[in-house]
Amino acid sequence: MTDLLHSPLHDRHVALGAKMADFGGWEMPIEYPGGGVVAEHTAVRERVGIFDVSHLGKARVSGPGAADFVNRCFTNDLRRINPGQAQYTLCCTPQGGVVDDLIQYLRADDDVFLIPNAANTAAVVDLVRSAASEGITVENLHDRYGVIAVQGPASDEVLRGLGLPVDHDYMSFVETQWEGLPVIVCRTGYTGERGYEIVPAWDVAGSVWDALAAAVVEHGGMPCGLGARDTLRTEMGYPLHGNDLSLDITPVMAGSSWAVGWSKDEFWGREALIAQREAKECRLMRGLVVTGRGIPRSHCQVLVDNEVVGEVTSGTFSPTRKQGIALALLDRSVALGDEVVIDVRGRGVPATVTKPPFVEVGVRES
Amino acid sequence: MSDLEYPADLRYTEEHEWVRSTGDTVRVGITAFAQDSLGDVVYVSLPNVGDSVSAGDTCGEVESTKSVSDLYAPLSGEVTAVNESLDTAPELVNSDPYGEGWMYELRLTDSTSVDSLMDVETYRGHLS
Repeated sequence: MTDLLHSPLHDRHVALGAKMADFGGWEMPIEYPGGGVVAEHTAVRERVGIFDVSHLGKARVSGPGAADFVNRCFTNDLRRINPGQAQYTLCCTPQGGVVDDLIQYLRADDDVFLIPNAANTAAVVDLVRSAASEGITVENLHDRYGVIAVQGPASDEVLRGLGLPVDHDYMSFVETQWEGLPVIVCRTGYTGERGYEIVPAWDVAGSVWDALAAAVVEHGGMPCGLGARDTLRTEMGYPLHGNDLSLDITPVMAGSSWAVGWSKDEFWGREALIAQREAKECRLMRGLVVTGRGIPRSHCQVLVDNEVVGEVTSGTFSPTRKQGIALALLDRSVALGDEVVIDVRGRGVPATVTKPPFVEVGVRES
Repeated sequence: MSDLEYPADLRYTEEHEWVRSTGDTVRVGITAFAQDSLGDVVYVSLPNVGDSVSAGDTCGEVESTKSVSDLYAPLSGEVTAVNESLDTAPELVNSDPYGEGWMYELRLTDSTSVDSLMDVETYRGHLS
């Protein structure tokens, strides 16, 4: 583990006795003693949880026309949002494969902040930098900020008690300060619950965490590891890059077409993605709910009448529904409501094809 | 791992299973180390009563939210009972791995074979 990078909150996790693992080159908590995936997951659904997601990348594109430039790179249409708002977008190859999915924060026409995935940050920064014209600056700020997510119905009370801004619209952000250093408070998340992702300057991340973690516990919540983050996002059907999006799984296949600005003149992968969308031949991402016993996992084959019709891209046990759920790429011949069989290590597990999310959601509630 | 318990009256395997002699049968489960490594157990698949198993055979699965592990028969014999409460309460494997979280019972082909398994001190040495 000596080569792994450490979050600014690493010593907190060690002190709590967290189980740690490699996430995109960063040694991060999977779960905490006294919690565990199911209890941490349930805390977020019912009360509140706090996550360290400082392994996520941070980057900034600035200079005259920075927003227009970013809009010519990534898929979503930045003109749909205003300064102070954030947007989910995708960074594609010319072939339409997904280098990364990320959040773009529009600060001003000349200032865009990016949060890519940990393992893909360098690749995204390199691509954007090599496409940038003179006057545009692209900075990799991976170790300049931490990222702390507070998620769950009690999130507002937790932040409000510390004087942090709350109740702004979903996918919008407010810039503030903590002990004199910048903190961005975004109404975003990866759990499906109402909540915030807080981006403090690296040097105050520990102080922000300590205050938030204490307030979370006071409100009946707990620190949550990336194990619970994965079951929470899977229940929502949110794709995970490397599983449900990849160089081989395009936004059209993954059901992420909503995050593509189809009317834009230019973005990376535009021609390939338009052709794939119009051809209507590729497999599509669907949800599977296990009706028998068993837990589907990535790469399990999906069958109808003993013929392979697709493959699981993410699968887990849903702590909320107490049954196996999966995201799977399926042939277009398979319809919503169809019964399929998932080959789980040689055992046939019956499942129903659905449209995610797998749970009721509160993320957009105002 | 110092807070995990390993009862002295059990025998242990390298696959982190425990065996308790109960007269003419033995009871089998997974150790505190195994359940802690897996995390929250959400699904247990056990052999059927009447199955014959040979030492080292895979005879079931234990799944957590994160991963799946095979169960290996620690000794040869015939399955005489399985813990059906794990169907609806698999979390017993975490909360009480040596008690309510037991998995199945075997009538051994060779009743002395249990002596070939590790005692607690050897198992602790194996863990460290």
